[in-house]
Amino acid sequence: MKRRGRGIACMWYPIGFTVSANPSAAVVKINEDGTATLLTGTVETGQGSLTILGQIAAEELGIATDDVHVVSADTDATPMDTGAIASRTTYVTGNATRLAAEKAKLILFEVAAPMLGVKPDQIEARDRKIQVKGYPQRNLAIGEVANHAQVVMGQPPIGAASFNPATVALDPETGQGKPFSTYVYATQIAEVDVDDETGEVEVLRIVAAHDCGTAINPMLVEGQIEGGISMGIGFALQEEILFDDAGRQINPNLTNYIMPTSLDMPEIEVDIVKSFDPTGPFGAKGVGEPTAVPTAAAILNAIRDAVGVRITSLPATPEKVLAAIKAKRAQQPKRIAAG
Amino acid sequence: MATKTKVAAKRAPLETLREADETLRLPAITPPVTYPLETLVPEVRHQTPAVGQRATRPDGRLHGLGQTRYIDDLAFPGMLYAKIKRAGVASARIRSIDTREAEAMPGVMAVLTGREIPVNSFGPSLKDQPVLADDRVFHAGDGVAAVAAVTEQIALEALDRIKVEYEPLPAVFDPLEAMKDDAPKVHAPNGNIYATKVIRKGDIDKGFAASDHIFEGRFRTQMVEHAPLEPHATIAMWDPNGRVTIHSTLGRITLGRADVARTLKLPINRIRIVATIVGGNFGGKNEITQEPVLALLSKKTGRPVKGTFTRTEEFIATTTRHPIIMDYKTGVSKDGRILARKVRLVLDGGAYCSWSETTLGKACILSAGPYKIDNLHTEAYVVYTNKTMTGAMRGFGAPQVCFAYESHMDDIAAALNLDPLDIRLLNAFEEGSPSPTGQVLHSVVVKDSLLQAAQRFGWKEPRS
Repeated sequence: MKRRGRGIACMWYPIGFTVSANPSAAVVKINEDGTATLLTGTVETGQGSLTILGQIAAEELGIATDDVHVVSADTDATPMDTGAIASRTTYVTGNATRLAAEKAKLILFEVAAPMLGVKPDQIEARDRKIQVKGYPQRNLAIGEVANHAQVVMGQPPIGAASFNPATVALDPETGQGKPFSTYVYATQIAEVDVDDETGEVEVLRIVAAHDCGTAINPMLVEGQIEGGISMGIGFALQEEILFDDAGRQINPNLTNYIMPTSLDMPEIEVDIVKSFDPTGPFGAKGVGEPTAVPTAAAILNAIRDAVGVRITSLPATPEKVLAAIKAKRAQQPKRIAAG
Repeated sequence: MATKTKVAAKRAPLETLREADETLRLPAITPPVTYPLETLVPEVRHQTPAVGQRATRPDGRLHGLGQTRYIDDLAFPGMLYAKIKRAGVASARIRSIDTREAEAMPGVMAVLTGREIPVNSFGPSLKDQPVLADDRVFHAGDGVAAVAAVTEQIALEALDRIKVEYEPLPAVFDPLEAMKDDAPKVHAPNGNIYATKVIRKGDIDKGFAASDHIFEGRFRTQMVEHAPLEPHATIAMWDPNGRVTIHSTLGRITLGRADVARTLKLPINRIRIVATIVGGNFGGKNEITQEPVLALLSKKTGRPVKGTFTRTEEFIATTTRHPIIMDYKTGVSKDGRILARKVRLVLDGGAYCSWSETTLGKACILSAGPYKIDNLHTEAYVVYTNKTMTGAMRGFGAPQVCFAYESHMDDIAAALNLDPLDIRLLNAFEEGSPSPTGQVLHSVVVKDSLLQAAQRFGWKEPRS
């Protein structure tokens, strides 16, 4: 008989990594027409980082996402980057990108100030315009200023910057210190059906509420969460590398190493928790890894809720779940007899 | 039949090569497709302000049209194909490697062994991993020799002709066994525990003494693989100026370049790494694998050399997620407040350190959970075993410890007859809470996330 259960799990996760410094650098070049090019040493690995970094540069320059072309991942052409690791790209490379864009923008402001008859610190960049703060009617198209800067004034608007999260080394005795600049938080709730005759677990629904600071691109945040959940389901129920007695893997292929497919995916409902981190670019933190963190815990708690057994080792295969259900049943009559 | 084919190969190498080329090789370049070159850009990409927009990805269009060029889609004139011979034994001394027969095969252009690598070691923190095993095999997936040939099939056949003589050595596979004094040492003379981490806060003895209930539990997790869609793939091209260009599926090109420079003993400015678009990483592509091997094969042959891992190599020869044995002991008050927690973690580090130190640190710091705990003692160890190396994988130990601390939390809630949501709200971090390492936390929204998820799920609604 199928028994329904629900389980909750929350988590915290740091942005960036410890052990050593993890800086990123970026270069932003504003072209003569007000579009821009961002150079970054990070790598697009499917997560959408280049889109996010482009949006961050665009935001700082007051232009649109499509106005920024991102060049990435070529050590001959792009600046150093600690890499697409540790959920650090939006926060660390994002901060470097914002700072580089700001530097390029300040060159535009210097050039625009006499054109607008104000001081550079009275100027802002918005909606593809360079305009006077609090008096947006006085404005110039960003392309006009950029062209003037490069062609007339001889000041090409290029900015380079780097960012490294502020940390405090851990005391080797007590582990006290500030290993990471910031953390994100999340909760996932799983609803499952457990067949108490076969031990099979079906994940029906997962509700995920994740904090990522400002969501630079909510669609990509949702994509990360859905992908992380699929990885979490595999970790909870299916995936396991097995070894023989001689230390050789016995299932190194996708036939015998079972991973979730689209057929295993539950309904997923995503909430982005409102949050703003003043140390991140436009309040953003990150989201990549945390999405895969609480899923297994939530599913295992749901199994316990459904059939009353605690599986203490992953994955919770049907064999393991069924054995636990049988062991529990075997114990029950004794208890009645003793009581 | 197989023997007959091999005999024929010796007699008529050219015909065999042609046959291999025509019948076995897939075209290296995707056939052309017709698609509009005038791009329709969705309105959302033109809107300002840019932040907060559900902007579509510029690479999405290329993926959708099948026009993204992954490494395996790239081909350069005269390009060779590389394959690496895997040890297949978990712990052994290499007595000899005889490559003569492979080198004599038609179509084989070069063979490389570990002794030819200028600096045959690498690693993100400890440099304990050989690029190709030369003297000692530490796990069954170790590479022992590499071949560059005109086709993948010839390269594969050449691997079989390489004769390696091994002297078996004692091995250890269980991390708890490996911690014992009399266990075989994976990297002798060093002990098997290669990194430890301790976090101490408050006074756990007092905390446990003040507790109304004490709960204990042991949790274990398994080894898993990242399994990205695109396997590790590399093309190396050594040019006449002595510069090497490496197209590779690396998530960290800056570190990769430094590692390649070190192993090849070259100045960093003679190396170019291009990562293009990588088809999934999840932590498995954060360090070099075959890049130095391919670079040296390219240097030997003067030709571009491509290597694409098989799915089996993805499993046996790249990093995996750390299995962790996690012991929890928690003291709580009658109403469910956590007063003391002791955690002991043993991470199965596999044959090499890789990103274990980072994983150890994160697992240790995060293992107490997002909870206010004044009295805490966490100790974590990572140990060598003669198994596939464990390294960076999405979450760096966090999914493992979250499974433990959240399972433990529900067991405590059940024993105290508390709602799992309520016990979490009671203990969760708040703005300004100190972390286990004493850091004052900011922008803390763990309670918001709990309440928001519970609201959407309908946690407090009556159950049918």
